[in-house]
Parts: sequence; C-alpha cells; structure tokens
Amino acid sequence: MTTSSKNQRKIYKSSWDGTLSRDEFQVAATSFAERWNKFNSALPQFSWVARPNPPYLPPTSQAEGYLAVENVIMSRTDEESCGGGDYEEGKEVTSCSDEDGFVDIATLAQNHDHASHHYDFHVVYSTSYRVPVLYFRAYHSDGQVLILDDVEKSIPVNSAKLLMESKWTFITQEDHPYLNRPWYTLHPCGTSEWMKLLFNNELGVAEGGVVVAKYLVSWFSVVGQVFGLKIPFGMLVSFGEL
Amino acid sequence: MASESRKVVVHLRATGDAPILKQAKFKIAGSDKFVKVIDFLRRQLHRETLFVYVNSAFSPNPDELITDLYNNFGFDGKLVVNYACSMAWG
Repeated sequence: MTTSSKNQRKIYKSSWDGTLSRDEFQVAATSFAERWNKFNSALPQFSWVARPNPPYLPPTSQAEGYLAVENVIMSRTDEESCGGGDYEEGKEVTSCSDEDGFVDIATLAQNHDHASHHYDFHVVYSTSYRVPVLYFRAYHSDGQVLILDDVEKSIPVNSAKLLMESKWTFITQEDHPYLNRPWYTLHPCGTSEWMKLLFNNELGVAEGGVVVAKYLVSWFSVVGQVFGLKIPFGMLVSFGEL
Repeated sequence: MASESRKVVVHLRATGDAPILKQAKFKIAGSDKFVKVIDFLRRQLHRETLFVYVNSAFSPNPDELITDLYNNFGFDGKLVVNYACSMAWG
C-alpha cells in the first residue's frame, strides 16, 4: 500500500469520499509546506505547529498539530472599487517584498496604514469532517482586529464572490481548536464534495489512487481564492516529476 | 507578445450531473483571464453554483491568464476545463 517515499503515498479506495485521516493530513501538510516554501519564497512561509496532546488524553503516537502561515500582508490598491462588477486589473495578491526586498513589517504602515491588512492562516484538521479547515484572523497594521464586515470588504471581490455565491464555502466564527479563541473559519461542509470533484480525473490515472501529498495543494487552490492567494503552477507540476 | 494573444482552444467538460453544453469547445484569447471562462459557463448554464477546475486537481484563480493555464495544463492542443454544479446544500 505505502511506498517507501512519503510523498508517493496514495489512498486506495474504490470510491474515495474526499476525506483524509489525521495521519494523512500530516503527510499532506508537510508536503504542502515544502512546496509552498520552495515556490513561494517571497511570501511568508508555512510551518507545522505541533501541539502536545492534553494530559487527560492517553498519549498516542500521532502528533497533533496544524499548519500555519502568519503575517501575510494583503494590500488593497483601491477599496472603493470593490463595489464595481469588473474585476480589478491591479495587483490584489499579497506581496511583501517585491518593492525593495525589505520585509520589515514595522515600516509598512507608513504609506498605507489602513490599506494593508495582515492575515494569519491556520490549516487545522477537523475530526468530524475529516478534512482540513482554514482558520484565519485579520488585523490592521496598527494591530486592530478586523471585524467580519471588514474582512468581507477586504478580500478580493472577484474570486471571493464566486466561492461565496456558489455556496462552496462561507465564513463563520468558531473557536480555534488549539488556541481556544474565536477565529474566522471557512466552513468545511462542502469540502469533501469538491475535493472529490477535483480528484475525479486523477483517480482515473493508470496507477490509481489519490496522492495524499497533493491533497492540500489542491485544497488550497480553492480556499486560497477567497483571499486571492494563488498556487504557483510549479507546485502542481512538481507532482508529475516525483 | 505574439504568444500571449494566440487563441487557445478550451474544451468544457461536464462532471457529475452538470448539464452538457451544445458548444463544448471554443476559442479564447490567451491574454484573457480565466474568469472569462467562468462567466461564460455561468451565462450558458444559468447557474451561479458552479465549481470550475482544470486537470491536475487544480482550481485556478479567476485572475490567471488562459495562456499560462494552457502552457501548464494544456494537452493535445487544448485546455480542458471541468465544471460541476453544487450538490444538495445551499
């Protein structure tokens, strides 16, 4: 079932339901972070945050944890244009270093104190849905937290609208499972369904099976759209070369 | 620049119970963005609830250029775009 390489690990099921086990989630998370950090070196890097099991639970071999990327800076060129139906030509993608390669967050507030928002993203495994869930929080450069209204206004109109209107996901507020504080989250009720769709054709390939390592890359290609975060093509193409 | 403006053949493929389009193939300028394909599908199908993705288990950002998608995921002279309508919820 499992080949020697972790990245080549596959799920073999006659009809895959779009979900992952916690163990598989960790494999997928590691693989995602490796690729993201390689192909997106200009952006903040993802890292695995291990959480010790609470003392009242029996110690298990499985290390719990989540994938985190913090302080992703989204700068809006023009907030007023949000209402228009046209998509913006301007850059809406996060960039924190393409101006002069100087990434000191303390200085970024100078020019556009409220135009740029800072996002923390955590990818947490949901035991009830058996899929990854995106938790996030957002704040202004001065540290003031963004309320949901502001978040909805600040995310890229075009892609976010598509996903929300299409009811593939929506934003709610929930307790972060590890930090026990309210964070925003993209509801996972549709996740296994669209993950199944994404891998529809992949399942048909000769060797069969869903590449676990690819799961989060595919998943992020969808949820990242809410925030205008793109998956570099290299991250996907690299799977063919493994 | 010449390659940017080159036309790309897009092949629309229905998945699940999504209706099949009469015209499943069309040409689009490589310099157009993926959102154009999404909008086309929404107009044709009269549905807002669409899930659009290409091969390699990838759902492109609407902002991506068709030519970039074709260069990375195109095959056999065309870019296959799969679409599905959403399931029971919503």
